[in-house]
Amino acid sequence: MSKFEKPSVMTFADYEVILPANPLLGAASHVADNDPDNDPVARAEQALAVLASEFSNWMEAECERLDRERARLRHIGINDATHHALFRAAHDIKGEAATFGYPEVAGTAASLCRLLEHTSDMTRIPLALIDQHVDTVRAIIREHARSDAGELAKVLNSRLREVTEDFLRQDNRHRPDYLDSIASPR
Amino acid sequence: MIRLEFNKLRFLVIDDNAHMRRIMRTLLHGFGAREVYEAEDGAAGLEAFTHYVPDIIITDWEMPIFDGLELTQMIRQPGANGNPYVPIIMLTGHTEKARVVSARDAGITEFIAKPISANSLYQRILNVVVNPRPFIRTKTYFGPDRRRNVSPNYSGPERRKGASGDVTQQAPLLEKAKSPA
Repeated sequence: MSKFEKPSVMTFADYEVILPANPLLGAASHVADNDPDNDPVARAEQALAVLASEFSNWMEAECERLDRERARLRHIGINDATHHALFRAAHDIKGEAATFGYPEVAGTAASLCRLLEHTSDMTRIPLALIDQHVDTVRAIIREHARSDAGELAKVLNSRLREVTEDFLRQDNRHRPDYLDSIASPR
Repeated sequence: MIRLEFNKLRFLVIDDNAHMRRIMRTLLHGFGAREVYEAEDGAAGLEAFTHYVPDIIITDWEMPIFDGLELTQMIRQPGANGNPYVPIIMLTGHTEKARVVSARDAGITEFIAKPISANSLYQRILNVVVNPRPFIRTKTYFGPDRRRNVSPNYSGPERRKGASGDVTQQAPLLEKAKSPA
């Protein structure tokens, strides 16, 4: 619906304040009350619930991708391409796993992302620690149906996170402000 | 209360992950959107931006060729092809403060930390439609006003010369990253 219109501009000494036209406002309207039969968020959640039957397959596909990138990195060695591909596979899992119904996996992937992103020199990343993260992702997904799967995942994640953060603290000891600057808000 | 007629809005979703694109398309169609275009990397996204002229862009950060941050910087070029004021919602797994600040400084309009929820997406879209911020142009920045509130504790110099300007009160991006819903 956008038609680009010339915005109004206020000019000050070293900056301008620009007020673009807002044609999108035409898509907004006031409604009297919260009509439960016309709730767009509820409709979207219902649509997502229908899609959810595919999520376990998608989680397995993402897990296979992570495993494939780990194998490629192991085979070729760590370089910009293999490092970035493994990071992107882990980063996607970090963002998607909770939506797919595997929230525990998100924690493992987040720890792997921190290891890959914040080690000062990628050639110093311990490959064994990469393996442990990838194998943990695989194990959590494989054992997801077990009644104690959540508890096991919690223990594994806690230990992995501990080892990873210890490594990052050691690795970045020459730049102590760095780890503070990358502290995650969650 | 305010409701959006999503069938009047055109969306462009840019994400290299097909699963996430499917989820976004499902949510947007669930809201009532009819026009949802997709691109799978920053370069294709830029092409789609020019071709489809979307009302709202929803982009991932981590993508091949060039990423969501670089895409945002390319769109926020006054004088370039396309609408440099288009709302850009960044949907990402990055939640660290330094990342949120980088995204803000690149000119994104809103930030959603994954995992995505229907409510968090709806609220961001509602905000960019109903409560847009003015744009600021300086020598080093062009994008939505980064000042979302006035801090009573701020004691540094006023960096904008000539007038302090009004500030549209909104929650800081980092707060939104901490509580995605």
